[in-house]
Amino acid sequence: MASYRTANRAMFWRILRRLLGANRGRLLVILLALGAGAAVTAALFNLQIDAKRRLTTEFRSFGANVIIAPASTGQASGTATISETLLEHFPNQTSLRSIPRAAFLYAIAGVTAFSGEGTDGTKLGTAPVVIAGYRFLADDLKQIVPHQVIEGDNAVILDSETCEIGEKVASQFHLHVSAVLKLKTEKAEVSCVVSQVRSFGGIEDGQIFIPLKTVQRLAGLPQQVSLIEVVVPGTPAQIEHYLDDLRNQFPDAEVRPIRQFTEGEAKVYDRISGLLTATVAIVLLLTGLCVMAAMTNVAMERKMDVGLMKAIGGSMRRVLRLFLAEAALLGLVGGVIGAGLGIVLSMGLGKAVFGVAARPRLIVYPVAVALTIIVAILSAFPLRRLASIRPASVFRGEA
Amino acid sequence: MFLRLVADSFGRRPRHKLLTGAALALGMGVATAALSVSLDVGDRLAKEFRSLGANLLVTPQADSLPLEIGGVDYRPVNAGAYLPESDLPKLKKIFWHNNIMGFAPVLEVPAKAMVSGRDDVLERSANPLSWPTIPLIGTWASHAIHLEDGRGFETGVERTNPWWQLMKGRWFTEGARECVVGKNLARKAGSHVGGKFVPGLPMGDSLVVYRGGNEAPLFLKAVGILDSGGPEDDVVIVPLSIAQQLAAKPGQYRKLYVSALTKPEDASAKRDPKSFTPAEYDRWFCTPYISSIAFQIQQELPGTDVRVIRRVAEGEGQVLTRVRMLLWLVTGAALLAAALAVGASAAASVIERRTEIGLMKALGAGSGTVGFLLAAEQLLLALVGGGIGYALGIILARMLGQKIFGAAPEPSLIVFLVVIALAAGVTLLGSALPLRRASRYEPAPILRGE
Repeated sequence: MASYRTANRAMFWRILRRLLGANRGRLLVILLALGAGAAVTAALFNLQIDAKRRLTTEFRSFGANVIIAPASTGQASGTATISETLLEHFPNQTSLRSIPRAAFLYAIAGVTAFSGEGTDGTKLGTAPVVIAGYRFLADDLKQIVPHQVIEGDNAVILDSETCEIGEKVASQFHLHVSAVLKLKTEKAEVSCVVSQVRSFGGIEDGQIFIPLKTVQRLAGLPQQVSLIEVVVPGTPAQIEHYLDDLRNQFPDAEVRPIRQFTEGEAKVYDRISGLLTATVAIVLLLTGLCVMAAMTNVAMERKMDVGLMKAIGGSMRRVLRLFLAEAALLGLVGGVIGAGLGIVLSMGLGKAVFGVAARPRLIVYPVAVALTIIVAILSAFPLRRLASIRPASVFRGEA
Repeated sequence: MFLRLVADSFGRRPRHKLLTGAALALGMGVATAALSVSLDVGDRLAKEFRSLGANLLVTPQADSLPLEIGGVDYRPVNAGAYLPESDLPKLKKIFWHNNIMGFAPVLEVPAKAMVSGRDDVLERSANPLSWPTIPLIGTWASHAIHLEDGRGFETGVERTNPWWQLMKGRWFTEGARECVVGKNLARKAGSHVGGKFVPGLPMGDSLVVYRGGNEAPLFLKAVGILDSGGPEDDVVIVPLSIAQQLAAKPGQYRKLYVSALTKPEDASAKRDPKSFTPAEYDRWFCTPYISSIAFQIQQELPGTDVRVIRRVAEGEGQVLTRVRMLLWLVTGAALLAAALAVGASAAASVIERRTEIGLMKALGAGSGTVGFLLAAEQLLLALVGGGIGYALGIILARMLGQKIFGAAPEPSLIVFLVVIALAAGVTLLGSALPLRRASRYEPAPILRGE
């Protein structure tokens, strides 16, 4: 009995092998369709998970979304300050990403502009201008306050000799790079060389940017800043969470989100992630159905095989089991190859879109393979309809 | 005879044809849905991004430098230049007028003001010169503009600053003696403004504004409390006409915020327009880039300086470009999968018809005739399947658009043509390889079943 069963099983595998090998053209076609489906499934799943995370980083191209300012129940607004040391004492975020931030101190100074170095430069004019002292903990100030450099080198060395000016200041005094500015307040006087002209499209266009220390000296406010602008990355919920951390850390200051960006972004993020999920879902569903229809079509062409097996005494259950096993095997192979390709594909796509390769997620792989096997098995099921087939009529070519 | 053969093939194997057709229709449905969404998404998302507010700032060209710290302009009222309010409807006359979603002129006036109606502050209010200086911002909340073509256009800060929320109450009515109070000023306990204590201005109370000399003070009733999350929380928003009256600048404003629908700038659009060739210039002018809209506004409103609010515009451009690219890639992947599956289906149907091909050849048909016949069948199927798929895809894309953006994408002819062409191309390509092999078949062994 045992040997009969073993022989039976051996026969089963042998028939299966022959079924697969019988028509190589067909085998290739089936693997191609299943593999394509698996590849797209894996690529889209992987890309979708990665894209949502990446989008929140992308949104930070809007610059700062949180401001830490003196509590508003202090003295006159605009002149209140907070300690510069706050800049150093930021709570750590759970993920290891750093939080770009910059401190600003604003003052009004009498500015005299000269067209060039020393005494030979001609005087271009005098006017009161807002000077913004700044110090940032980030790769670039652009991360925090987006702007375009219209004139001058992109790289700026933060030292007391140079300053950067807004576009409006430049046009007001007809200033260009390497012009000299004398800044004078009641407390002190300094001069600096213009190294950059920046375009912001906001009030910053009317400001002169110099290192924080210099403004602190000019304003007589050592170790003080007017406000700190912070770039908090993450989803709307993560940002909200980090805001609470900040409020706990700095109970004396007012921590407020820049609603213009936090709210606008939350809205846009919801839309984009909804769009992405829905598109991916529809594409996957239709692709799955499409692959299934194609596979069913292939399966239905095999009347001859079914007829032959029935003619030599195979029961319909056994015949069906054979075909299902074949389908599952094909699904497995197609899925394993396709999903592997798909993950590589999604890494490439991630690199193309976001400049950073999408991180492959392990969970995607088994899910894509399993889905492919399911699609393959489901598409073999319509063979059951052939149960009523009469072998003789198949061979006569009637059916 | 040819047509009869084709018709016969469909009639004899309806289920096979149905399945191949279904695979085609589903595949082309994916293609249509993904293409429609991708084509449409740029405009829709650009509209969504307008919730970030204005992306253009218009100021007088001859203006002096603003001395603005913490949202308060320290310039005296008589310094700097102003712009005429009467020019504003011209904004809706530029080439891209339909892309102007809203605009709001702003006039800031610092004013000596006090709160009336509360006993504890009455004695202090005797001498107006000792009143604190409160910044007032005059603007439009919701202002109707009549355009030349007879249509109306509603605009104001509700359009340009959608994140401004009224915590309580309503916006002021145009021209009425009403105001909306920033939430910090509205605190009952009062707050410090400009170094002086201001008692809280809750809703229903009036702000008394000193107009200088012997003129009777102006009473503005607080009808709403504003939460802006920005420096506007410390000011009072008043109708533009009231601010003009207080600043003695009738019909004028100082800043104008414009919210425009734009297309992300590509590398060529970022160049200086002066360096364009005429053809490049035309292309640039006729594309809603932020720079070309700024240029057109500057032409239409003389004496202005139009600046791109980089913060909003650059971030928007970057995110939009990324999302569009992402969707195009998803579309590409969908097209690829659909094409492969449909091609496989087509190939399978040819492979399985060896006997039929052998029979036809035995009866004297040449390889060309056989190939032509099968290709015609596949093409017919592709047209029908592609058409059904297109309809299916459009329905899905509409559902998607409706659900996510509340507006359905328009069916487009291009998508239809692309989808039909794709369907035909894929089926033909899928059948081509097996057909080539079939044309080499010797009929005799096939018919013998070898």
